[in-house]
Amino acid sequence: MTPRKDPSLGPEEWTLYEQVAVAAMDCQSLDVAKDCVNVLQKKFPESKRVGRLEAMLLEAKGSWGEAEKAYSSLLEDNPFDQVVHKRRVALVKAQGNLSGAIDLLNKYLETFMADHDAWRELAEIYISLQMYKQAAFCYEELILSQPTVPLYHLAYADVLYTLGGIENLLTAKKYYSITIDLTGGKNTRALFGICLCTSAITQLSKGRNKEDKDSPDLQSLASAALEKEYKRRASDKLSALTLAFKTLKVSS
Amino acid sequence: MGSGGELRYEISQNAYIKLVLHSLKHKTSAVNGVFLGRSCDDVVQIIDSVPLFHNHLGLLPPLEISLIMIEEHYAALGLGIVGYFHANERSDDVELGNVAKNIGDHIYRYFPQAAILLLDNKKLEALPKGKDRLPVTRLYTRDASKNWKLAGSDGGCRLTTKEPAANVVLLDYISSKKWEDVVDFDDHLDDITKDWLNPELFK
Repeated sequence: MTPRKDPSLGPEEWTLYEQVAVAAMDCQSLDVAKDCVNVLQKKFPESKRVGRLEAMLLEAKGSWGEAEKAYSSLLEDNPFDQVVHKRRVALVKAQGNLSGAIDLLNKYLETFMADHDAWRELAEIYISLQMYKQAAFCYEELILSQPTVPLYHLAYADVLYTLGGIENLLTAKKYYSITIDLTGGKNTRALFGICLCTSAITQLSKGRNKEDKDSPDLQSLASAALEKEYKRRASDKLSALTLAFKTLKVSS
Repeated sequence: MGSGGELRYEISQNAYIKLVLHSLKHKTSAVNGVFLGRSCDDVVQIIDSVPLFHNHLGLLPPLEISLIMIEEHYAALGLGIVGYFHANERSDDVELGNVAKNIGDHIYRYFPQAAILLLDNKKLEALPKGKDRLPVTRLYTRDASKNWKLAGSDGGCRLTTKEPAANVVLLDYISSKKWEDVVDFDDHLDDITKDWLNPELFK
């Protein structure tokens, strides 16, 4: 899809070239991308914005060294270009340097701490490296800034469960509960989370005095909700679900 | 039988193709799956597979739920979890990471002949050009010092497909973009009407 010479587009035409260039790079149609960038270069010869596209093209080609040089130089001129900052992280990550990506992202977030996508990306990298405490910190930031987004509460709960230990499990249960609240009881993952947490807490607190008073009710509510949904919409999996609850010693 | 020195693995075409297709569906993510089967003398027969996740592979809750449900389902068919499949996020990355090893360790506890299969993208890309009948994966088994060891080509073909033309069928499915139809456990957790058994996939 290349924009034809359509005079009715006006100045929008150039934005379109830019968008097509990026889309082409995304699907590795580098010839198309190059054509679009060439058109833009002719029209805007001194433009930094086009310079950014040229650097992205180098990145898409896998010319890591040249792309890095181009991005660094663009950042010298404009240290607040968020897109270029993030492209640099992507560049480093694509080469398999995850700790480098983490360093760059952390530095980026010191300045642009409201960038939710960046926090999420950082959390995902941490999870892939099993650095769960650090991932938890990212989700805490996201929850603070966007407390009504269920996704962050759910991910936070999953991370806490993975970290383990009674305190984390109790907190995870709270966050699964918040997710259930925010999603009108419809989030399958959160419902399962409640069952898993309760089961794990019971196992860990055997012989200790710590009691989880509201837990049997919450767990039976969650398991009942799951059974109802499976019966209604995935009945062939219902027996596996019921057996799973038995294995987890879920009270019903 | 203990350290798996002489052990062979024979994987059914469907179990193999399903997971390779899964990795092609989510090209920009790491993905994983489990193998179901049984052991017969010195051969582990991998009869089926279930694609698991394409997001947050390192988180426990979805993994625990999936393994429990999958085990319950297949126990009724006389099959157990006998191995783990992993495909890294980057196509040129053939390192067996810690997430994969940890999940492998867990499966090993219940099935000591467990194997890990890691997708090898170079082998996959070379398929159309060559006539390779071996699976496009790297095989890892646990050695005596509890490490996951790569089975080298010196050991002969320890991992084979039950059907010799499996790679031909795989290439065919790839050209028809069959991967679009693969459902994994992540998809199921997002929408329980999506069936991780993929009953219609190879019909």
